[in-house]
Amino acid sequence: MAARWSSENVVVELRDAQATAMSVDCLGRHAVLSGRRFLYVVNLETPSEAPRKIGRPSKWDVGTVQWNPHKAESHVFAASSNQRVDLYTWRDGCGEVHASLQGHTRVISDLDWSWFEPEYLVTSSVDTYICIWDTRDTRKPTVALSAVAGASQVKWNKRNQYLLASSHDGDVRIWDKRKPNTAVEYVAAHLSKIHGLDWHPDNEYILATSSQDNSVRFWDYRQPRKYLNILSCQVPVWKARYTPFSNGLVTVMVPQLRRENSLLLWSALDLNSPVHAFVGHDDVVLEFQWRPQKEASKEYQMVTLSRDQTLRIWRLDPQLQKLCANDLVEDLIEGISLTTESEKSLPSQDPEPTIHSCGLPAEHLQDQAGALTSGGRHDSSALPQTLQQEFSLVNLQIRNVNVEMDAVNRSCVVSAVFGTNQVHLVVKFPSHYPNNAAPSFQFISPTTIPTAMRTKIQKILTDTSLQKVKRNQNCLEPCVRQLVSCLESYMTQEDGSAANPYVLSNPVTPALPAFPRVTNTYGSYQDANIPFPRTSGARFCGTGCLVYFTRPITMHRSVPPTEPTPRSLSALSAYHSGVLTPMKMRSESQSSLRLYSGSPTHTDKDHVSISSFYYKERKPPQSGLRRWSIHDCPKSRRFKTKREGADYGNRPVKLAGKVIIQEISCLLPVHKALGETYILNVNDIQDTCQKNAAAALVVGRRDVAKVWALASAATSLELSPDSDPDADAPWARHPFGRHLLETLLDHYSLMSDVQTLAMLCSVFRTQGCSQDYFSLYGQQRSSLFPSHHSRYPSYTSSSVSSGSCYSTSDSTTTTTWSIGRDPEHVPPLGESSPDDYRYANQMYTDPREREREQHDMNKRLLDPANTMQFDDFKKCYGEILHRWGLKDKRAEVLKFTSCPPEPHKGIEFGVYCCHCRSQVRGTQCAVCKRFTFQCAICHVAVRGSSNFCLSCGHGGHTSHMMEWFRTQDECPTGCGCHCLLQSTF
Amino acid sequence: MVSVINTVDTSHEDMIHDAQMDYYGTRLATCSSDRSVKIFDVKNGGQILVADLRGHEGPVWQVAWAHPMYGNILASCSYDRKVIIWKEENGTWDKMYEYTGHDSSVNSVCWGPYDFGLILACGSSDGAISLVTCSGDQQWDIKKISNAHTIGCNAVSWAPSVVPGSLIDQPSGQKPNFIKRFVSGGCDNLVKLWKEEDGQWKEDQKLEAHSDWVRDVGWAPSIGLPTSTIASCSQDGRVFIWTCDDPSGNTWTAKLLHKFNDVVWHVSWSVTGNILAVSGGDNKVTLWKESADGQWACISDVNKGQGAVSSIADGATNEQ
Repeated sequence: MAARWSSENVVVELRDAQATAMSVDCLGRHAVLSGRRFLYVVNLETPSEAPRKIGRPSKWDVGTVQWNPHKAESHVFAASSNQRVDLYTWRDGCGEVHASLQGHTRVISDLDWSWFEPEYLVTSSVDTYICIWDTRDTRKPTVALSAVAGASQVKWNKRNQYLLASSHDGDVRIWDKRKPNTAVEYVAAHLSKIHGLDWHPDNEYILATSSQDNSVRFWDYRQPRKYLNILSCQVPVWKARYTPFSNGLVTVMVPQLRRENSLLLWSALDLNSPVHAFVGHDDVVLEFQWRPQKEASKEYQMVTLSRDQTLRIWRLDPQLQKLCANDLVEDLIEGISLTTESEKSLPSQDPEPTIHSCGLPAEHLQDQAGALTSGGRHDSSALPQTLQQEFSLVNLQIRNVNVEMDAVNRSCVVSAVFGTNQVHLVVKFPSHYPNNAAPSFQFISPTTIPTAMRTKIQKILTDTSLQKVKRNQNCLEPCVRQLVSCLESYMTQEDGSAANPYVLSNPVTPALPAFPRVTNTYGSYQDANIPFPRTSGARFCGTGCLVYFTRPITMHRSVPPTEPTPRSLSALSAYHSGVLTPMKMRSESQSSLRLYSGSPTHTDKDHVSISSFYYKERKPPQSGLRRWSIHDCPKSRRFKTKREGADYGNRPVKLAGKVIIQEISCLLPVHKALGETYILNVNDIQDTCQKNAAAALVVGRRDVAKVWALASAATSLELSPDSDPDADAPWARHPFGRHLLETLLDHYSLMSDVQTLAMLCSVFRTQGCSQDYFSLYGQQRSSLFPSHHSRYPSYTSSSVSSGSCYSTSDSTTTTTWSIGRDPEHVPPLGESSPDDYRYANQMYTDPREREREQHDMNKRLLDPANTMQFDDFKKCYGEILHRWGLKDKRAEVLKFTSCPPEPHKGIEFGVYCCHCRSQVRGTQCAVCKRFTFQCAICHVAVRGSSNFCLSCGHGGHTSHMMEWFRTQDECPTGCGCHCLLQSTF
Repeated sequence: MVSVINTVDTSHEDMIHDAQMDYYGTRLATCSSDRSVKIFDVKNGGQILVADLRGHEGPVWQVAWAHPMYGNILASCSYDRKVIIWKEENGTWDKMYEYTGHDSSVNSVCWGPYDFGLILACGSSDGAISLVTCSGDQQWDIKKISNAHTIGCNAVSWAPSVVPGSLIDQPSGQKPNFIKRFVSGGCDNLVKLWKEEDGQWKEDQKLEAHSDWVRDVGWAPSIGLPTSTIASCSQDGRVFIWTCDDPSGNTWTAKLLHKFNDVVWHVSWSVTGNILAVSGGDNKVTLWKESADGQWACISDVNKGQGAVSSIADGATNEQ
């Protein structure tokens, strides 16, 4: 059958070459094949000539070989061998290595020349790095992309000079070489290892991936969650690459599996069935490359290398190219006319095959002759053998289906049993099948399905076979699969809606499992976004402790110390199988590894833990015992010899290090001892300062001792300010006054010595304000004293509650308050409420008042503008004292905070105004603006602390009430209520 | 003198991922890949195992003690996507609450300042940050910031409740209105600042300087100074100190503390906020302090696991 061989025109046989990789240069002149001992350069213009050889003394096979795709550098090619890339120059029939790129620490998996910069080459390796090399500087890669997982493929984008894609098991990462730290995008593309990666030639966002999971998927990397399209195959796909002409795609099935016509041409627009099958290679296809279009020629040539060491050159004429561009719908509608059209056109377009062959060593001429004759015989007996070939290659491992093939009679019987139904079908192949001649299908007894169904199936099968033979393809297997799927759908939806034949027209659609996001494996590739756990750390705790933990000294990283710790937990995936090369199917590792399985101990031999990363196991983990072994880290060897005997390796290693608590309080600017000994005696500031200075000396803080001496000087009574604003400028205005204090505070702020800061602020607060400290709060404070021991339920006005900020802790020291109100600061009564008065200094209309206020501000050594900050010092120091367990000391310090009163949150008694009888909360009536409550004794309005009887409602100033009830037990108003008795609930 | 006061053998069956002492420094909580959380009484140099908390189904990444005013409460987060809040009651530790609202590993937990009540921030690899608030008797209120960090959130740390910039007297005599704020770091190489406005969490600032995943962030405790300080560390080995003097909190400046050779996993501030402990993949702990001229210097190298400390600056602070 001449048509079958139409597109192939050259066969070159390279015996004993043991070639594993091949590349065609950008001019289409040479193909380089990498053998074990030699590199062979085949001149594609004269393929019959013996190939030139370049010696290659290396025990490693060549992984990948590639010519530089730029015309100016077309004489250069790169070949990877283990961890090294050799750059060869090919000139005048001779080739030599002119440079080597060394930088990877493990075997290089792929390399790719940049499409834009002729000097740039990217390499990927299982050592997890992707290196971009500038071949002008071969010493080190210009960029190294760290990818945690080893890469199997790397490819430059064909449209964007910065982008590249790499494949890591089932994932694809998109990188921008300008942002080397992290991948631009992650695509969880496949469930199993990706064998092939190819960027779309025209669209910078689209790429195709081919995988072990029997599919080719098409992606727009901007939408990494969902593939654009999928081509489901029944076998793993080795490579899928776009053709140089539009909409085409060539796929190669995974070599190791079986002998089949694995080289297929697809139209990207119709992935249901291939456009063309390149039949000819007897063994699996290792590599295919395109020769550039010759001038004035519309045909493309594809060069393929098979494992049987034959090189073939295939022609793809415009007709085939057009098939790729064909639309499916159009194809189906115009099925018949197209068939006739191709019937006419196909034979005329097919030139006679010319088979050249050339043996590598000249002494194998005999074999070549044999090959030639066999090829000729092959050619002459093409027609009967084609069917036989199809029969021998067809994969009909389908459940419940049996096919008896008779190549001589050009027929076969397909028998299928589904439940109670049986189907027997005779397929007869016409003599010029499959060259646009479809087989006939006929049901024979004992077929049990109804006639309607038979007709339907027959139609579907005819359609399917026609589609195939029209493209010069075998159709037996697709037809059988079609039959099976029809029968299955008939079985399942016998009474349902009839299946659309076009839906079923895809012969190979195994239901793909949903992406198992939920069933997560610890440390698997799905954990790529979970950070690698900390295995050492330090934390400041309490006040003066540093808690830290590190890895036990016996545990070292199993990667070289020069490598940084991986970023993500998925680095552990390498330890799932114990090897870094995950050729293993992912599904296997997933089924054998369960995160949530069993006990947390290491009896589970497959248990992967973070500790796996830190040392190698000497043996495979069948013993279940984790062991420490010597490895290439020099440090560990040292420890081994220094610390441990030879039997150390037999003992289980402790995986958890010790947690160490260290006392680091000496590094801190605060001292617990000072916290304990510091005093704050408001009655004798001088004494306080001197004692504190002595305390500071004891702990060795001489600087603080000096500060206390200064504080003592600055607070001496001789410097206490005059209450008369017209007298001398207050000491605070002196350079040694407020300014000195501010400098000190600044200094200790820089040192973060919150202890000194808070103490200074407390001391100077009391000192500077000894007269006027309570000028603002005075009236509330004064009323605070008598309130703490009344047997009466206390009516506490909201202003009194300002005292609550002193009782944040169990302080009992409120009685030490001895500072009285400034008698000059009796507020004008009646006009403004006490609340207004407190914060609204602008209420003073009298210039004398304003001046006095100003003077009060100036008298203070602490700048009143920063009061809030000083309070913060005290609060923070209070917090530290609390951590030290010095609650009394904390209360003493917090006494000096000036925080404004919290809004009253306790119970408040509502009263009726004694003047207008309206309901009032607080001391002043909102209606008549008068004080609401009169003392029963002195008949003066009560604004401060008051007590009254819950029974009769009478009461007054707390002090008056106390005085009264000291001797009396009846209400002072004479209402007759026995208040004391009544209120003892 | 810097001295080891306790060496606790945790007997964890796998590697330890976090260790933290409580507020007073009397108890130590540790968590490990063996899925357990252990609590030790370490008072006076002792090491008594108080509790061995089992409940997580994956490695436990971090623990956090709540302020003691709410009782003895510990939060832990794990690979198993759960956050468990444990509470001691009558001497026994029990689960108080289990939060399962994340879709991926929860990498960090941090309790807010006690002024805000019992509020826990959780950062997860699903990119979200959850704010779990105890709103009363066993009632827990959840707020979730989804997609706080693309790819994942690795660390959270609360701002101290002492509001820097509060030095300006509050005009109306009201208690200063504390704004809840925290900082987070994630796989988008960003440090983000969040604040609560009208009960809603909003992104306040985005700090860019790292070139790889941010592994930890630490908001320095305040001692009442108007400057806010944040430390962040990253896979790229860099530690940055971010400061903000601006009372509105809008201008942050970064200063590189150091570039380490390996990933930096953790930063921790001393109680006075002037010393930073840095630890990472190189198994070492270093202490850093800012000098008076604003330069950060390594003051101590806590050697790997052997407790030997060569404190360069022993007592240096005392000689000022």
